[in-house]
Amino acid sequence: MSLTQAVFILLGGMAVLGALGMVTLRNLFHSALAMILALFSIAGIYVLLEAEFLAVVQVLVYVGAIAMLILFGIMLTRDIVGRASAVRNRQWPLALAVSAGLLAVLAVALVRAAWPLATYAPAQGGVADLGLALMGPYALPFEVASVLLLVAMVGALIIAREARE
Amino acid sequence: MLPTLSVLNLNGAVPQIAVAGAGMLIMLIDALFHRGSRRWAAYLALLGLAVALARVVESGASAETILDGALARDGLGMAFALVLIVAAALSVLVAMDYLRREEHERAEYYALILFATAGGLAMAMANDLVAVFIGLETLSISLYVLSAFFTGDAASREAALKYLLLGAFASAFFLYGIALLYGASGTTRLVEMGTAIRLAGTQADPLLWGGVALIIVGVGFKLALVPFHSWAPDVYQGAPTSVTAFMSVASKVAAFAALVRLLVVVLAPAAPLTSALLALLAVLTMTVGNILALAQDEVKRLLAYSSIAQAGYILVAAVAGEVGAAAVLFYLLGYAFTNLGAFAVVLAWSRRGEGRLPFSDLAGLGFRRPWTAAALSLFLLSLTGMPLTVGFVGKLYLFGAAVQAGWTWLAIVAVLNSVVSAFYYLRLVVIMYMREAEMPLALQRAGLALGVALAVCAAGVILLGLVPGVALDWARQAVAVVLS
Amino acid sequence: MDWPVLSIMLFTPLVGSVIVLALPKEKPALLKWVALAISFIPLILAALVWFSYDRGTGGMQFVERAAWISAINVHYYLGVDGISVPMVCLTALLTTLSLFYSFIIDQRPKEYFAFFLLLETAMLGVFMSLDFFLFYVFWELSLVPMYFLIGIWGGPRREYAAIKFFLYTLVGSVAMLLAVIAMYLETGSWDILEMARLQPFSTNLTLAAVAFWAVFLGFAIKVPVFPFHTWLPDAHVEAPTAGSVILAGILLKLGAYGMIRILLPIFPAMFRQFAPVVGILAAISIVYGALVAMSQWDLKKLIAYSSVNHMGYVMLGVTAAAAAAGSGPAAADSQAIALNGAVLQMWNHGIITGALFFLVGVIYERAHTRDLKAFGGLGAKVPTFAGILTVTTFASLGLPGLAGFVSEFLVFRGAFALIRPFAIVSSLGIVISAAYLLWKVIQHVLLGPLNERWARLTDMNRREVITLAPLIFFMVIFGLYPAPILDLINQAVVTIVGSL
Repeated sequence: MSLTQAVFILLGGMAVLGALGMVTLRNLFHSALAMILALFSIAGIYVLLEAEFLAVVQVLVYVGAIAMLILFGIMLTRDIVGRASAVRNRQWPLALAVSAGLLAVLAVALVRAAWPLATYAPAQGGVADLGLALMGPYALPFEVASVLLLVAMVGALIIAREARE
Repeated sequence: MLPTLSVLNLNGAVPQIAVAGAGMLIMLIDALFHRGSRRWAAYLALLGLAVALARVVESGASAETILDGALARDGLGMAFALVLIVAAALSVLVAMDYLRREEHERAEYYALILFATAGGLAMAMANDLVAVFIGLETLSISLYVLSAFFTGDAASREAALKYLLLGAFASAFFLYGIALLYGASGTTRLVEMGTAIRLAGTQADPLLWGGVALIIVGVGFKLALVPFHSWAPDVYQGAPTSVTAFMSVASKVAAFAALVRLLVVVLAPAAPLTSALLALLAVLTMTVGNILALAQDEVKRLLAYSSIAQAGYILVAAVAGEVGAAAVLFYLLGYAFTNLGAFAVVLAWSRRGEGRLPFSDLAGLGFRRPWTAAALSLFLLSLTGMPLTVGFVGKLYLFGAAVQAGWTWLAIVAVLNSVVSAFYYLRLVVIMYMREAEMPLALQRAGLALGVALAVCAAGVILLGLVPGVALDWARQAVAVVLS
Repeated sequence: MDWPVLSIMLFTPLVGSVIVLALPKEKPALLKWVALAISFIPLILAALVWFSYDRGTGGMQFVERAAWISAINVHYYLGVDGISVPMVCLTALLTTLSLFYSFIIDQRPKEYFAFFLLLETAMLGVFMSLDFFLFYVFWELSLVPMYFLIGIWGGPRREYAAIKFFLYTLVGSVAMLLAVIAMYLETGSWDILEMARLQPFSTNLTLAAVAFWAVFLGFAIKVPVFPFHTWLPDAHVEAPTAGSVILAGILLKLGAYGMIRILLPIFPAMFRQFAPVVGILAAISIVYGALVAMSQWDLKKLIAYSSVNHMGYVMLGVTAAAAAAGSGPAAADSQAIALNGAVLQMWNHGIITGALFFLVGVIYERAHTRDLKAFGGLGAKVPTFAGILTVTTFASLGLPGLAGFVSEFLVFRGAFALIRPFAIVSSLGIVISAAYLLWKVIQHVLLGPLNERWARLTDMNRREVITLAPLIFFMVIFGLYPAPILDLINQAVVTIVGSL
């Protein structure tokens, strides 16, 4: 087992642990912290894959912005910080079945796939390549994504403004 | 070398740009000069859609890509785009008087309809799975917000939340499917993906299977196929009726466009698996949708279940793959007129401040509102599939495609389901014409825009039913030009 | 004739129905007269077609053909032969009479007359279409106005009856539609005559059998053949008088017409193979229909069940012709006789049962009951009614000299030669129908002591007599001298038999 593999297993284990903690912990605040752990570990995996830029973005956006927003949201909302909430409802067997099915599909697909090794070295200086890709082949998704963000913003405004009135 | 905008050739993306641009313009004007009535926003939205429509019709189909291969300007994409734009325009017309009546007339409504349409257009024409996904998200998020548009209304909020949660869930499936397909082929471009899958000849590639299954689950949620349908009735009922009308048509058109393109361009080598999977979903969707519709006593919810069943019929032709593509397209065109028309009547007749239209409210309206009632009867007969309406020709074409592709048993199931559906569609007609109202409903005058929308829908249903030749030829030629 | 007589006949009522809708509803008398006047145009044209149909040449005449939906090879294709001409005339005649009789309708007359004219277009279209797509369009179209006629102007259980009528027929039609789609994909044509020439699925017998039964189901529900008849009593009883007349007089014929025009020529081999099954169903329809009719105490229901019985004879005749399909000229005479009888029986049943339903309407509008036990002794009280009812009843039970006899005789003459066991069983039906018509209708209504309730009953008025007069005329004239109509029918029948 090479060092890379060891690190991968460590990071992967942390990500899974974080995810599990997020859905099973009864305290919402603890859940959020567990999520941060999972997101961090994934950033680590990106580093391992030599996608440093992606790792930085992951930390900045997910950990730095989204997770913090969630924590603020939890803390600013009355009465949920200390309170334990139910993590199960009546439909949990159904959810278990669906999740197990999904896991089965993914496991079979991932285990049985013949993973070819890339024949070329990973691109260096990923940021420039990313920029070119976004302005070239992926210009369309990039542009549509800006509309998407606008929609999300408008939506948040509509719902929030009306709730205050 | 740095790409320049001229390389990107934005000219071909005019439909999307016009639609999204009109939406942004509406937001801008509203923010800068917002005063009084918001009618102008509706007109501006119609203008944007008209530009897009003109561009789609005028530029015609050619099997080429633009935006560096991300967008396909082929017949298939253009044709679905056309249906989508028509549906969006009718939705705008339908909403104008309704929003004012319900005192929720705001410019954002039209902007969001336009953004949703732009997302749908991206889905219909995209040659790239990432673009399909982003388009899907744009469409979906617009719809979540639109569902919550009547913010004072608890049902509207609940509908939006439910839709958001399940929609996000579905998106995750879709995205995971994309990742697996990318793993199997090494590209996100649909055409190249199709070539890679064909060349590899490894139809047994587990990544391909997994990706296909997950993508179908994701699309299944969007199309409200059984067993992924549980959100649809609540959302359809809770959302503002004009939104329900738009949602029941636009998201189906866009999702079917993407599905058909996937099936034809990428998954043709995997046809045995996809067809079997889709056939199973079609049977479940038609049957469950129809059976649940039988038990309803409220028109909006009935139409929700009927929309589920209708998606099942369309799926019957999608099972047939390339053979069925034209049938899917034609049926969706007819379905746009029919379903939007039916919802427009619901919206005209429902009480102020209330989205529901219980069956009992229909009693006696057949003679009190002869024109509107006749229109609703026409739409219901078309949904049943009676001759001289577009529903008949459409179903004939759908089921004919299935028979042609050797799926006779599936066509038989579909036909039996049509008979079941006749029962609940006809029941509405019975109540309208054959029962007297116990407490006559206080009806508002329908506005001009709504009247125009109803007239257009009715004309569409009759004309496409009476002389479907032009549209059938159009559909057939359109899907023949597919980038692959 | 170089002008499109069939199209004009077909679309005049449709245009008329729009005209009626456009008239002000404050003037019911005006719109009734307008509707009646419009219905005379197809009637006159139908008579014109009857007389100018060239019996020497035979075949399809007055043919009109134009491309309609070229994407799927659908044509607007009309034409009539010796089988359709009588049916077209029957449709035009009964519609005009029904409209005239319906002058008493006070509830929403505008919509009523508009639906009636629309119905006429649909029915004429079925009898004239030579393109299966077009045929199906009119076939389904005929459902809608009748559905409304029963549902809005019907009796107390009208909602139930209307939906049941619609759904039953729809089940059959969609089964037929699937088979037709398959046949189109096989032959590439919707042309009914072309399909008969090409004999679809002649190499794939399983598929042929499935298609045969699917199409059979579509027509059998309409005829109706036992066990698909259960919609009929409800629909007939709840429908308004004129609706029952059209339902029994013409709509049932659509099914029988389909059997002869479509099923028999396109699937002769299958029909022959399954003739025993169909024969059993026909015999059951005849005997069972008669028995159930006998057990009824509601006059309208009795006549409704008598339709099951009488349409059974049509099926028996068709089955006889089918049973000998492909056996060459030896059986051709008997086949032709049986089929002649079947078509003539369609005409006669339309005339006779139409008249019977009118008569039920006449008595019901005065007495407000149809309970046979409540009547009695009306013969002396209302002599005109009694006379007309007696003639019609005798025609219905097949008294020689009246129309019913000729057709039943021909059917049995053909059937005895070709499918003797079924014919023997079926002849029971004649005895039973004589029994119930004499015992229940004549005796319970007209004879016996007069019930005091009916002391002030009035006889038929002029409107009612005028409605019934043409029907009585045809019962008598074709009973005594059926040659004019048989000449016409025989032409077409011989062609079909020759092609089997």
